[in-house]
Amino acid sequence: MYEITKRGLLGMAAAALLGTVGFGHAGMAADYPTGPITMLVGYGAGGQTDLVARATAKVMAGELGVPINVVNKPGAGGAVAARDIAKAKPDGYTMLFHSNSVINSAPFIMEQVDYKPEDFEYAGMITAYQVGMASQKDQPFNTIAEYVAWAKKNPGSSYGALSPEARLYITEIAKQNGLDVNIVPLKSGSEMINALLGNQVALAFSGGIHYRYPDELKTVSALTTFRHTSAPDVPTIEEEGYPLGMDSRTTLILPKGTPRPILDRLAGALKAAETDADFEKVTSAANIPIKYLGVDESYTEMRDTYAKNKGIMKRAGLISD
Amino acid sequence: MRRANIISGVILAIFGLVMLAVVIPLQIDPGPDGMMSPRLVPGMMMGVVIALSLLLVINNIRAKEPEAADAGPPISRNELLALAKIGAVFGAAILLYLLVSPLPAGAVIVIGALVALGERRPLVLIAMPAGLLAAIWFLFYKVLGTGIV
Amino acid sequence: MSDLLIGFQDVLNPATLIWVAIGVTLGYVLGALPGLGKATGVAVCIPLTFYLGPVAALGMLIGIAKGSAAGSAVSAILLNTPGEPSSAPTALDGYPLARQGKAQKALKMGLFASVIGDFVSTVILIALAAPLARYALLIGPVEICAILLFSLTFIGGLSGNSLIKGLIAGAMGVFFSTIGLEAETFVSRMTLGLLELEDGIALVPMAIGMLAVAEMAVQAGNVKVLDSEGARITDGASRSDRVVLASEWRRCLPVIARGTLIGSVVGILPGLGASVGSFLSYGATKKASKTPEKYGTGMIEGVAAAESADNAVVPSSLIPLFALGIPGSVIAAILIAAFILHGLTPGPLMFQQQPRLVADVYAAMLCASVILLIVGYTGQRLFAQVIKAPLRLIIPGVLLLCTVGAYMETSSVFSIYVMLFFTVIGFFARKLDFSFVTFLIGFVIGPNLELSFRQSLQLLDHNAVNLAKHPIAVVFILLTVAVVWWIGRGKNPAAGGQVTRSSRATEKHVPTNS
Repeated sequence: MYEITKRGLLGMAAAALLGTVGFGHAGMAADYPTGPITMLVGYGAGGQTDLVARATAKVMAGELGVPINVVNKPGAGGAVAARDIAKAKPDGYTMLFHSNSVINSAPFIMEQVDYKPEDFEYAGMITAYQVGMASQKDQPFNTIAEYVAWAKKNPGSSYGALSPEARLYITEIAKQNGLDVNIVPLKSGSEMINALLGNQVALAFSGGIHYRYPDELKTVSALTTFRHTSAPDVPTIEEEGYPLGMDSRTTLILPKGTPRPILDRLAGALKAAETDADFEKVTSAANIPIKYLGVDESYTEMRDTYAKNKGIMKRAGLISD
Repeated sequence: MRRANIISGVILAIFGLVMLAVVIPLQIDPGPDGMMSPRLVPGMMMGVVIALSLLLVINNIRAKEPEAADAGPPISRNELLALAKIGAVFGAAILLYLLVSPLPAGAVIVIGALVALGERRPLVLIAMPAGLLAAIWFLFYKVLGTGIV
Repeated sequence: MSDLLIGFQDVLNPATLIWVAIGVTLGYVLGALPGLGKATGVAVCIPLTFYLGPVAALGMLIGIAKGSAAGSAVSAILLNTPGEPSSAPTALDGYPLARQGKAQKALKMGLFASVIGDFVSTVILIALAAPLARYALLIGPVEICAILLFSLTFIGGLSGNSLIKGLIAGAMGVFFSTIGLEAETFVSRMTLGLLELEDGIALVPMAIGMLAVAEMAVQAGNVKVLDSEGARITDGASRSDRVVLASEWRRCLPVIARGTLIGSVVGILPGLGASVGSFLSYGATKKASKTPEKYGTGMIEGVAAAESADNAVVPSSLIPLFALGIPGSVIAAILIAAFILHGLTPGPLMFQQQPRLVADVYAAMLCASVILLIVGYTGQRLFAQVIKAPLRLIIPGVLLLCTVGAYMETSSVFSIYVMLFFTVIGFFARKLDFSFVTFLIGFVIGPNLELSFRQSLQLLDHNAVNLAKHPIAVVFILLTVAVVWWIGRGKNPAAGGQVTRSSRATEKHVPTNS
């Protein structure tokens, strides 16, 4: 039989008080961060994403006043890291810096990947990938329309694809125009550059690194919804009449349930990269445009692009429903 | 060695058959048309393994030279025991890693292996893991500034 | 050339040299420790170099790569556990030498071969980066496919005692390498639904398990025998056991030259890696030798061949990086990030925009080679004492390092599972005399071969006639056919010739290698 004693009541009151304080994340966020933060990157060291991640980590560490450890967790194009971040503690001390395509495209392409944008929290986006179709500078075409004309006269030409998205684009274009193009599989960005510089393929899908060779390569089409800052004269694929533009941006991804104040704090620190001189030096050397998006904009972007990509993939037959 | 060859040949042939007949069709979808099937290379390799394993078995059954006088089984019991012990040590370490944290896991690897190999001096059993773990910690966390976990 | 002299002037000051030396030493130690390799070392050190100037930073990182390629010979020779997969051939002859009391000799030759290979390859990089890289572009998938086919013929020589078992091991290696996502069809192969296997089995944890941990298990099973042997070995009893004799130098110099050449070529070609280089070099030297059957029992040429190639790959893999901005190896890919973070954009523009910085880096690399010689040499006698240490103290330490090394590959415990799985396979492969060398070759070459074949099919428009447009490829295909025919003929004299040789060979059990 529980007696209602004064002590018991005091005890219950104390417990209740502690409980509410415990739930008051807002109170905790004021001291966040108090220790080092781990930033996962879903690719191995040395790629575009890793580069931007390390530069971002440096800026944010300065803003937040704590060290940020960059840990590479490569695997399945970032899906392994994404799955790990989904399982991490939502306390703001573990985050994933990666292309948002791991969440808004990968699930449609890889069967084992089944998370949705709602399974994560987002603390801002910072750079965009200038995804485009690249070709050698001396090729006689400068837009998709011109490429189509050229390909019709040169059946059996080669196109370099390093992912199913890459294939999707050429397959759609080829289907609509009745082209005969051989798709050459490539394993990485460097293989793609090799193939282009070595004249092995006439056109290739590039994640943006082809801008490192302005004397040898040019962009034939911007596969994003915006024109590339490095090639403002090149029309986007949507402008040319194919509704296939898919944007990818580097995003701060956090486990579901991370409190909003923490997200805001991180996004604030991220924003500092927009104006940081060193960051700007690194990204411009790598031809990576800075396009900052805040927390709310990130959520909208994820939702919208997820729905849009789903539509594109469905129409292309990549997912059956 | 001859008997071992026959046994390993048979096992490999069976492995190859199982892979070819069951695992490959089950685990690998046929690819889209117009491209080399993804089942081709694994299938070819298993074909090669099956053929060569059978050849191995046949050769060893037919071999006419007498077995060398001192030929015992190629794997001694001590070695198998050592393999098992190392497996047990790692098993314990992994459990500790998953349930507790990396530090005891690392310690268990060293202590477990030491004990399994017959080391009994308590000083060594404590000093070695402590020393090694401290050195690793120092190298990675301090000198290189990167966390391992 | 004059730029290079300025480069030296910039570099030859204590502040920069100290960092290069630290890099080389760190790399050497990391390489010598089984389980930890240069990729880990370089990647992990990148943030450390933020506080350094670009030349010191890049010099240090490249120094780590060079030091590690040389240091990996140490554990290969002393413990039969290669510090990195690319030193696996070094162990084949280095370990027997150590067991004969000639550890210091083997270590010295390993070091000299490494340094020479490294230095010459660096010189090639400096002198010929631009033109070589342009030529390298001519090597496309079709040519790579033919070259890889040709290099497979070397498997014959590396099978150890039994060709059949060697081929089985090779086929198994290729089979395991197909696990993962296939690049063209994007079909997952045998991943058992595990995301971690989508990218296939990682080489480093697999090699650590198969080469290092398996070896530790075998040694653990023979502790008493090995320890008493070890106690009886007086290392370096006579001077001729400690030093490399002039006669050995005469024999090894052509070997080193060949190894350097092979390593440099393999380094320039994208995607092959140091393991392929050292295996090919070892195989080629064995084939060219008058006493190929002695390889595996302590031929110092074997050590020289493997180590010179292994080290030559590192600088030459930077050729496509420097000249074209294309990383041809894991190290180069990691270094790209370091370059950019420090203000150098690798590629043709680099030479025009930052000639001085480039000259500085070149000078630093040459200095690193020299420092490598010093570092390795001073460590000789110290390292050689490891032979004397009782195995039951060494094995646990190695096991821990291997675990750390495997884990660091992907920062996940899955790599440990991979390591343990291949430990078991490696154990049985060793004891049953299946060559793990050919398994590794199959594993490394397999995926490249399949992918380049698929690419070739597409590039050639599924039409073999188009091969005529690729003369280099045709040459290699003809070479392959010639070699295979020659091997087949050479073994057939008694049609049972191959049969009896293999079965007789299975009788011999060579204890110290597979």
